[in-house]
Amino acid sequence: MKTRSTLAIKKSIGLITLVTGLMICMLLSSPVYGQSNKNTVVQEQQKERIIKGVISDEKGPLESANVILKGTTQGTVTNDKGEFTFPKPLKTNDILLVSFIGYETVEVKIEETTTFITLKLTEDLVEFIGELNTNKLYKSKRSKKKN
Amino acid sequence: MRLFAYIFLFVFVGQLYAQRSDFKEIDFNKADSIALSHKYETLTNIPQLSHKLTSQLHTDVEKFRAVYKWVCDNIENDYTQYAKNTRKRYRFKDDSLNLTNWNTQFRTSAFNKLLQENKATCTGYAYLVKELARYANLNCKIVNGYAKTGNTNIDKLVAPNHSWNAIELNGKWYLCDPTWASGIQNPESLQFVFQYNDGLFLTNPEIFAINHFPENKKWLLLESKAHTLNSFLEAPILYGDAYINFNAHSLPNKMHNTVKKNDAVVFKFQLQRPIEHEDIKFLMDNGNKMKTVIPKDITVTNEELTIIHRFNKTGFYDVHFFIGDDVISTYTFKVTKKTKSYKTY
Repeated sequence: MKTRSTLAIKKSIGLITLVTGLMICMLLSSPVYGQSNKNTVVQEQQKERIIKGVISDEKGPLESANVILKGTTQGTVTNDKGEFTFPKPLKTNDILLVSFIGYETVEVKIEETTTFITLKLTEDLVEFIGELNTNKLYKSKRSKKKN
Repeated sequence: MRLFAYIFLFVFVGQLYAQRSDFKEIDFNKADSIALSHKYETLTNIPQLSHKLTSQLHTDVEKFRAVYKWVCDNIENDYTQYAKNTRKRYRFKDDSLNLTNWNTQFRTSAFNKLLQENKATCTGYAYLVKELARYANLNCKIVNGYAKTGNTNIDKLVAPNHSWNAIELNGKWYLCDPTWASGIQNPESLQFVFQYNDGLFLTNPEIFAINHFPENKKWLLLESKAHTLNSFLEAPILYGDAYINFNAHSLPNKMHNTVKKNDAVVFKFQLQRPIEHEDIKFLMDNGNKMKTVIPKDITVTNEELTIIHRFNKTGFYDVHFFIGDDVISTYTFKVTKKTKSYKTY
């Protein structure tokens, strides 16, 4: 009987210690997280920068290619030298979509060191075929002699 | 009871193919009006156009609808391009070097036409639908294959001549044909006229297969092994209106038929919407004159329309099937004399 109750006490002490320990951990750890978060945000904000680049294809600079920030409508087009300056400062890990009709779209991830993008687009190798629809009634070809 | 309902669902609904009716609860008006509000947008910025068309919509099927509807309403079918490409491709069909050169040359001009004039042939439509859908995170594919209209010369159909799309929605694949949905070629002037056909959006694969045969058979989206290039080539001609009225057409399964005078000829269609029996008619052309024939023997059971017709005169007939003014399909019938005894030769 006695041993049982001691065991029970020991168990509950163990449980209390564990819970207290966890609570202390949470108390300690949350401010630590908060700080590190703040730090990275500050770092990234500091690193927000204007990205420039030049887009070309096999023949040379590609005019009117689209450069947009993925998931938004923010973007710009390249000039006659294939150059662009992105209108909004970008941060590390942003993704730019570079596209032009008839070319494979390329995703460019902004790395920590990225400031200038040089990119060559490759043609989308679509083979064009086509059949128009019509309501014109089918007509059998018949030999001229009458039945 | 619930278990019973699940079994019922599994056994019956499970067998139905992926089609428009899977989205009965969706009202496409919102997607359609967004597509309409962006009429006259250019193709200079496809990612941006896709965003404009889809960002206010919450379901994938509505996003796809907006993209598809925009392409159908804004891209004009280019008959000149089509005719030139068809001619060249046929000329170079056995000359792979010239064919490749022609394809490269045509691709550049096709993309330019698309960009500058919003004009395209089928692949241009399918390409745009795929690209616009992709920026909305939708899995859409171009399907290349064979297609047949009242104008197609079957003897020249030696290589794929058409492109359409397959789209994955809620884990299932669906079919659509933006080129044929956008409009038709005026039979007299040969010019393209915008005339949206809603029957080619998430079309039942059974009726789609009658005049679409993909290079890769998996895009038939049908389990049946009965579909071959040959069965497709032999199938009757279906017109655009068929897709608005019917989900499937099983009989006659051939374009050219030979029957005996007074024998029963059976026509079977799976209805998509109710029709008036008095709207059903045949236009029969025996080479000398066209005659309207109103069939008498019409039954509808479980949405299956069955028409039985007996030819009472011998001859060779082009038979066009109509529902009101909608032209549905064409067959030919060679009607021969009823022989009394079996002849051996």
